[in-house]
Amino acid sequence: MTMTATTVQEIQLEQVSMRYRTDASEVLALQQVSLNIGRGEFVSLLGPSGCGKTTLLRIMADLLQPSEGSVTVAGKSAREARLAQKYGIVFQSPVLYDWRKVKTNITLPLELMGVKKADRERKAAELLELVGLEKFRDKYPWQLSGGMQQRVAIARALAMEPEILLMDEPFSALDEFSRERLNEELLSIWSKVGSTVVFVTHSIPEAVFLSDRVFVLSPHPGRLSAVVEIPLPRPRTQEMRNGPEFFGLIAKIRDSFEGV
Amino acid sequence: MRGRTFLSRGRALPVLVWAVSLLALWELVSWYLLEARHVPLAQSKLPYVHEIVRTMGDYAPTLLKEGRVTFGNAALGFLLGAAAGAALAVLMSASKRIEQLAFPYAIASQMIPILGLAPIIYGIVRDEKLSRILISGYITFFPVALNMLRGLRSVQPSALELMHSYAAKPWSVYWKLRFPASLPGLFGGLKIAAPLSVTGAILVELMGAQHGIGVIMLRNLYYGSSHAYMFWATVIVGALLGVLSYWIISLLERAVSPWQPDFRAKGGAR
Ligand SMILES: Nc1ncnc2c1ncn2[C@@H]1O[C@H](COP(=O)(O)OP(=O)(O)OP(=O)(O)O)[C@@H](O)[C@H]1O
Ligand SMILES: [Mg+2]
Repeated sequence: MTMTATTVQEIQLEQVSMRYRTDASEVLALQQVSLNIGRGEFVSLLGPSGCGKTTLLRIMADLLQPSEGSVTVAGKSAREARLAQKYGIVFQSPVLYDWRKVKTNITLPLELMGVKKADRERKAAELLELVGLEKFRDKYPWQLSGGMQQRVAIARALAMEPEILLMDEPFSALDEFSRERLNEELLSIWSKVGSTVVFVTHSIPEAVFLSDRVFVLSPHPGRLSAVVEIPLPRPRTQEMRNGPEFFGLIAKIRDSFEGV
Repeated sequence: MRGRTFLSRGRALPVLVWAVSLLALWELVSWYLLEARHVPLAQSKLPYVHEIVRTMGDYAPTLLKEGRVTFGNAALGFLLGAAAGAALAVLMSASKRIEQLAFPYAIASQMIPILGLAPIIYGIVRDEKLSRILISGYITFFPVALNMLRGLRSVQPSALELMHSYAAKPWSVYWKLRFPASLPGLFGGLKIAAPLSVTGAILVELMGAQHGIGVIMLRNLYYGSSHAYMFWATVIVGALLGVLSYWIISLLERAVSPWQPDFRAKGGAR
């Protein structure tokens, strides 16, 4: 699903800059970032720690107002998109509610949208199976490992089948096996739901495996340094990870870092 | 986790040993004062435990009846004070203006000594029941308001952001996030306030009421050393009422918020 002339734009950033002001100093976290993400596209934000990935994601989600520049989501403002409940977000930390068990943490967004209990139950069962936590449905978050907590957060973000899925290093707390399995699962969900996905990661192979395009960010100040198309066919399979094309793309992205 | 009671945890034995040694020591000192040193009014100073227990047995119906009056009024005042305190906490958390307006008065109200306030209230309302309820409520109000406010404010910014990202209504944010998050604080306040509210009710009774554990406490104090056992019995009943109130709140806390950090299993057992 690479960009074509007919693609509808979902998220457009125009010259977005972000300055964090503290009492003593000022950090330029993002400098004039412009990018377009098409509807239904899967893109990754890739870059070293501190280059502004989370900041960029939060600006897209209307959780943070940029110092300069504009954000357009489906032709409207990010705020309108948020109020229309278009976003599902996986934060960098799980952000689970201590007083809710796994199942009701997952169905929280459905509750907020007024989905009926029977439907919530059905959806919860489906999602628990997807993230492999059926046995833990009645546990409290603190009874889970960090990786399991993160899987709960992923299930919660998927619960309402959001139009836009923003994921901030969702799999970084997971082991390599779960990670690869969930990569595949994520792609299969995405192909069914058709969400637009913005996926933050540190891992070049992960970005290549998942994405239509990879936005490479560089730090100090954070800016967009390269956009790499991933022309691998879909559906993506595990075998592709061993192909020369895959390694070529990894090398290409790595080069774009070294050019910084 | 919930079934793990005080007894089954193996903490009962040390507690029992402590209690028994303390009582034995008490009996010993009491005997020493009375029989060995022939101290005047020895039994008023440190009466025999077994005599107190006997007196409590003999006068159980009276103690129970009066204790129930005190406890009932204290409980009612406690509930009203807790409700008012929680309501103010919600208002203060919702609006900085209200907090700025109400907070100094809430603090100032705590400067008034209860010992002075009790007779004033009693003098105004001239009704012992109502005075007990008012004082118990008054004492409960502040710790509940303060601790609940802290609980409501304890919500993590990220937890709020999650609600925000789903465009949750303010009502949902309260109901599904702020209230549950405030429960540990609320119960902390309630546990401080519950025994205090009993003490407050007893204090009112000392001002010349007709019923309540405080009344027989005062009477037996007046009657002098011949009533030392009964006096001590009333003091112990008063203390037990406080313990009972604390215990009820603790049970409630476990039932309402079993997820609290305090109740989490430590170590390997999960
Ligand atoms: N609330 C804040 N106040 C001040 N500075 C901030 C704040 N949040 C982020 N920054 C700064 O902005 C820069 C970008 O931060 P950001 O969290 O977006 O990075 P990141 O790419 O997500 O990093 P990581 O991969 O470690 O999560 C950093 O230099 C950071 O110090
Ligand atoms: Mg980050």
